[in-house]
Amino acid sequence: MDLLNEAEAALCPANEPSAEVPNGAAGHYLLGLIYRYTDRRKSAIHHFKQALSMDPVMWAAYEELCILGAAEEATAFFGEAAALCIQKQYLNCSTSPKLHSSAEDCNLVDSRHYVSEDSSPRQPKHMQSLKDIPGNHHGVPLLGVTSGQPINSGLSNISYYNTPSPMVTQMSGVVPPPLCRNVQPNGSNMNSLSVENSPRSTVNSTIQAPRRKFVDEGKLRKISGRLFSDSGPRRSSRLSGDASVNANPNTTAVSGNGTSYSSKYFSGSKLNSTAFRSVTVRKGQPWANENIDEGIHNDVIDDSRAPTTSSSSLTMEAKSYEQEEAYIPVGGQVISGSKVISGASEILTLLRVLGEGFRLACLYRCQDALEAFQKLPYKHYNTGWVLSQVGKVYCEVDYLEADRAFGLARQITPYNLEGMDVYSTVLYHLKEDMKLSYLAQELTQTDRLAPQSWCAMGNCYSLQKDHETALKNFQRAAQLNPRFAYAHTLCGHEYVALEDFENGIKCYQSALRVDTRHYNAWYGLGMVYLRQEKFEFSEHHFRMAFQINPRSSVILSYLGTALHALKRSEEALVVMEKAILADKKNPVPMYQKANILMSLEKFDEALKVLEELKEYAPRESSVYALMGNIYKRRNMHERAMLHYGISLDLKPSATDAAAIKAAIEKLHVPDEMDDNL
Amino acid sequence: MSLEMAAESSEGEEEGKLSGGNQVLIVDDELRELGKKAAWSVSSCKPGNGVSSLRDDNLETYWQSDGAQPHFVNIQFQKKVRLQLVVLYVDFKLDESYTPSKISIRAGDGFHNLKEIKAVELVKPTGWLYLSLSGIDPRDTFVNTFMLQIAVLSNHLNGRDTHVRQIKVYGPRPNPIPQQPFQFTSEEFITYSTIR
Repeated sequence: MDLLNEAEAALCPANEPSAEVPNGAAGHYLLGLIYRYTDRRKSAIHHFKQALSMDPVMWAAYEELCILGAAEEATAFFGEAAALCIQKQYLNCSTSPKLHSSAEDCNLVDSRHYVSEDSSPRQPKHMQSLKDIPGNHHGVPLLGVTSGQPINSGLSNISYYNTPSPMVTQMSGVVPPPLCRNVQPNGSNMNSLSVENSPRSTVNSTIQAPRRKFVDEGKLRKISGRLFSDSGPRRSSRLSGDASVNANPNTTAVSGNGTSYSSKYFSGSKLNSTAFRSVTVRKGQPWANENIDEGIHNDVIDDSRAPTTSSSSLTMEAKSYEQEEAYIPVGGQVISGSKVISGASEILTLLRVLGEGFRLACLYRCQDALEAFQKLPYKHYNTGWVLSQVGKVYCEVDYLEADRAFGLARQITPYNLEGMDVYSTVLYHLKEDMKLSYLAQELTQTDRLAPQSWCAMGNCYSLQKDHETALKNFQRAAQLNPRFAYAHTLCGHEYVALEDFENGIKCYQSALRVDTRHYNAWYGLGMVYLRQEKFEFSEHHFRMAFQINPRSSVILSYLGTALHALKRSEEALVVMEKAILADKKNPVPMYQKANILMSLEKFDEALKVLEELKEYAPRESSVYALMGNIYKRRNMHERAMLHYGISLDLKPSATDAAAIKAAIEKLHVPDEMDDNL
Repeated sequence: MSLEMAAESSEGEEEGKLSGGNQVLIVDDELRELGKKAAWSVSSCKPGNGVSSLRDDNLETYWQSDGAQPHFVNIQFQKKVRLQLVVLYVDFKLDESYTPSKISIRAGDGFHNLKEIKAVELVKPTGWLYLSLSGIDPRDTFVNTFMLQIAVLSNHLNGRDTHVRQIKVYGPRPNPIPQQPFQFTSEEFITYSTIR
């Protein structure tokens, strides 16, 4: 609700600085978010770290740290100490009422957040589906949750919800109402957090998708089955379940029939599946394996990740939980400490890999991030979340690969909206207007209230040069979630395309207020200042963008351009070299380098570079035009004519065509003068 | 020198006779309307039919002059702009004797040094009329100027005052990538030239 001050006061009374933050890890996480949104970066980092130390499986906190750019190696957080911590927590929790109650908690929590009406229709369904579900999921869900988030969040909450819930009876098979639904992507992050936390046993998976408006009844069951795997049961219970199951945790295959949901239920398994983003975590077969016919929606569940910050619960992977054949009687398992540890370490291993990958992606160390994600077992890799992350990473490097990765992600989890804004940008760059408009349509149908859908729509219009409509769409996206930095940046781009630089600057600045590490906004500001010829500002902004993303050849090439405009041409050349090295496929820095060399009157070198460039991009008119210019300067008129002719053949823009023709005419004039003489 | 020659040649250019007129305004994608950046003024007008009716995108409203001929529409820019096309909407069927017949377009730095760059005669026009400012020489594709003046020298049926319903001026789009001598044309260059 944006009442950040009040929230902060509630969590951390001003006059008691050393008071313990309520609700342990979740409280720290919320506090961290508050600080982040009020620009107190250091405090935010401190609180996220606290949250992680108290609850090592709190993926959401780790994600926030990555986004703030302050995360350390994943192993630091998801190491052995963490495993012990989890065990301790489990043991604490286990003293609470039986699994059933824990399950209740989950349900309770869920119901708290989730629209109760959602659950009600489900309850009956779940009930029956639950019956047959062996409780073997427990272990799995946890593991599945690579995305990890929910676990933590859920955990903390779980401890508070030890009261036996009335749902207990239902619980048996009750699939928590689709939690996802209640998660408002646009709601404050805190809300989403809480939502996630609430153990949503079954629902979790579905819940994940806040936008799951269309879950059919029939599918619900399946979904719930899925969800179950992730959701609800307390982690501890899961762990225990896991331990007991001890089978490949991943195997909790959630059969589409929903019969296998048993695992979910196990009494009391409190999987915080909530957070389970379906995508990455699922150890089991990715959704694809599920009986998709029915279970399509399941994917949705997982995929839809609240656009809000990371906390959005990973819908989970739970889905991936495939129902295990082995039904492990859930109830009343007495999980021994060692099993907890092994279960915990399984989870942590997964979280470690995911965490590492995510961290590197946030630092834009693309190759390393890709390698980290490659380490994931096949099943986990092929989940929506991981593939979206991979796609985002490729977006920096190679648009075609990004397209492929996102395409796969959409096949596997078609209802996941997170990362789809980046996908729409990739398609925009590739100029695939058919695919882009299809994506936009699908996303808007999936969830009209998600900023990503409107971003995709806006990109669609922008590709067709209808900047006014694109701007409206982006403004809508920004309205839906003012904390979604990319929407603001895209608004800025459209204003600049409409040549309204003032508003463009304002938009970029609001994007930066939300997320200082959003390098696109820095880049946008640099471009505006470059156009307005305020070269020093421009250089500063490009440098900030460069510091955040040091591997981008486009940023480097513009930095070089700005330096050249400031007459610091030597530095400009150095930067251009770096840009050329950063990405061999990018022809623009080479062109810029030739430009700079020409203005420095180093014609021969410039020509050499341009000759090379001809190989890379043989149909680029500006290359020949520039060569024509250089030959003209050197008074080699025939060659100049030749190149001007070729460049005209390659259909330059009208302005350039006029300029080139004018240059050709001027070439003749000296000859005429000679004749006259 | 060559530019002056071009200007001279277009002065004596054919006095084109234009008739008809398009009902739909279709302009090349490479051009963009520049009127928003200019200050528009008219030599005279009847109250209620002032210069704003020329720019309101409403073909029902029109500017009506109120004085002696010739009538002028002055378009002044803050810096030199490259213009390529002027489009007017006039309708003989609605305006009859108010419809302009002879139009002269002048360009220059200000009122003191305007020179005619185009002259046309209209014959019962109904719709959008495209008046290109380009000369024959490719170097004259654009007119680079501070000010444009559209002068209505005479009307149909010897009417004194004139009606013009809409005027738009077009020039080339600037290079989307600043500080570049030429625009990029190939896919590879364009894809890598921006970050979104």
